[in-house]
Amino acid sequence: MRLTRRDFAAGIAAGIAAPYLIKSANAQGATIKIGMCAPVTGPAAESGGYAIKGAKLALEAVNKAGGILGKQGELIVEDDQTTNPGIVLAFSKLASQPDIVGFLGSIRSTQVHAMAPDVIKLGKPVMIGGTDPNLTHMGNQWLFRCRPNDSYSGRVIAEYGVNTLAKKKWAVLHSTDAFGTAGGKALTEALGKLGAPPVLDQGYANQSQDFTPVVLAIKQSGADILGSYFTFENDLGIFARQLRQLGVNIPWVGSPSIVNITALKLAGPALYNTYGVADYAEDSSEGSKAFGKIYRDAVKVAPDNQSSWTFDAINVLSAAINKAGSTDPGKIREAILATKKFAGAEGEYNFDQNGDGLHGYNIVKNEKGTIKFDKHIEFND
Amino acid sequence: MDLALQLLFTGIGIGAVYALVALGFVLIFRATNVVNFAQGEFSMVAAYLMVVAVEAGLPYWAAFIVALLGMALLGVVFNLGVYYPLRHRTYLPVIIATIGASILLANSVLAIYGPQPQVLEGWFETPGIQVGPVYLDSQYLLIIGVTICLVIFNFWFFEKTLLGKKLQATSQDKEMASLLGISVSTMIMITFIYSAVLGGLAGILVAPVLFVSIQMGSTIALKAFAATIIGGFGDVAGAIIGGLALGVIETFGAAYISVPYKDGFAFLVLVAFLIFRPQGIFGERVAEKA
Repeated sequence: MRLTRRDFAAGIAAGIAAPYLIKSANAQGATIKIGMCAPVTGPAAESGGYAIKGAKLALEAVNKAGGILGKQGELIVEDDQTTNPGIVLAFSKLASQPDIVGFLGSIRSTQVHAMAPDVIKLGKPVMIGGTDPNLTHMGNQWLFRCRPNDSYSGRVIAEYGVNTLAKKKWAVLHSTDAFGTAGGKALTEALGKLGAPPVLDQGYANQSQDFTPVVLAIKQSGADILGSYFTFENDLGIFARQLRQLGVNIPWVGSPSIVNITALKLAGPALYNTYGVADYAEDSSEGSKAFGKIYRDAVKVAPDNQSSWTFDAINVLSAAINKAGSTDPGKIREAILATKKFAGAEGEYNFDQNGDGLHGYNIVKNEKGTIKFDKHIEFND
Repeated sequence: MDLALQLLFTGIGIGAVYALVALGFVLIFRATNVVNFAQGEFSMVAAYLMVVAVEAGLPYWAAFIVALLGMALLGVVFNLGVYYPLRHRTYLPVIIATIGASILLANSVLAIYGPQPQVLEGWFETPGIQVGPVYLDSQYLLIIGVTICLVIFNFWFFEKTLLGKKLQATSQDKEMASLLGISVSTMIMITFIYSAVLGGLAGILVAPVLFVSIQMGSTIALKAFAATIIGGFGDVAGAIIGGLALGVIETFGAAYISVPYKDGFAFLVLVAFLIFRPQGIFGERVAEKA
């Protein structure tokens, strides 16, 4: 058989066109794909596993209920290695797949900041769990938060400590990463407004091996209550133990990490009688109870916010795509922002125009290792 | 004053951990002229071995022995698998091989045991004792005690025993040691075993304080490496003093200057030494003749 000039030209044309045709075919594939950046390895690998399970459970339920736009939803997970470069790489891998219609980002604000420029460039909705208030206030219209932000957690910690526990001399301890800095700032501002500016505002670097100087600073400050924003559970565990060993037994109201499973396991009795703001508290609503049951039955461990936010993120995103009736990013965005009175595991979602879905926190107490729901504090402003 | 005493105790405690790992760095450097960047992972592996042995139901002391025997075995495997095949090459391939081995060890433990940080209870039921204004953490007391014992043991072993002198001779001049009938490869094997056990000991001792995690080794090793440079690379006493000094400096720096920059103080001291006294506290200046 002779290869004519015409055959050769047709072959070249087919070779050039094929990848585009395949991509196009994939984009109209049999499933609706949702990408997820999660820490499969690195310091947060354990909580990353919980996050993936939460997302998968939600997608299973969505698929059983008819799926997304009549198709089955499919979760594509990329390892973010619990690092900023890791999540940038993971997101770029997912973003290069044109058939992925929406994404789940990180629960860590610092990672969301790292990936945010690429999110703007891509122009598709990304559900996030990072609680730095700036994330939804820096002009990035594609970030949608499925947890209450730290301006609320700071206000709730301050409100509870000052008005319920009647304590005015605060020591504020926070990580120096984006999450901790924003949280510490929010708490300090809230305390200022309540007429109880902190007597100590102390930052620390992540993965510290020793907190003796911090504990001694708290002791010397004369504080009668501690508010904290810890990013990593092992830091929290080391600090909690040293705090008790060095004889500091003041009331302690912490950010959500103080009540997560890993922290409870590592710190043990050192965290007894502490309070935490928790976006997820099993007894706080019917939606929370329902998620708790599904998660316990499937995973055989107690649910926490690592899994509840991804559970809600998948549900909110799927419902929004169905409501939009399209995978067009702009239409999905409008549908997410129009989501009101949506009962989730974390509470009732009422998205504002910034992309924040939740506007309050639960206060829970560690009673000998068992987390008990105390009260929910909601803000309307 | 009370504050300073408390900080001094904690600084010495954490510094003793750096010193133990630094000792492993120094011993291997002296024997092979290369830096073993997997030294920190030895600590992590030993801590996990200890957790596995305790969970298997062994008494704490038996788990301790099993973990250290495991580390001795790891030292043998490490020598045969990482150093020995590259022993005639320059130092660079060997160093890269140790970095590769450290990544392999970390990921192997991750694959086998999972990413969950583990809790390892301390040796004592009492977490610590209050002596006047100072709280003495029992685990730090144990770490300091073990470090003192090891300093004495090292002195006795290297200065008073034939095996120790053979090891020293090997580290000083391998060709001459070989001519004198010393089996250089055996001495290097013993050095790797001893270093792995030392690193493992540090990991087991510090695990009840820092928890057992994949990252625990690399965090300690970085500081221990700085300690060896500050003390004088290749000097046993330097490793101990360097480790203790680093622990105390960073603890006091955090308390009196800045907590967030705690790690910065350690590396600031390291940079200062590299500029003004690159041979470290106990190291000798090496000059080349024209």
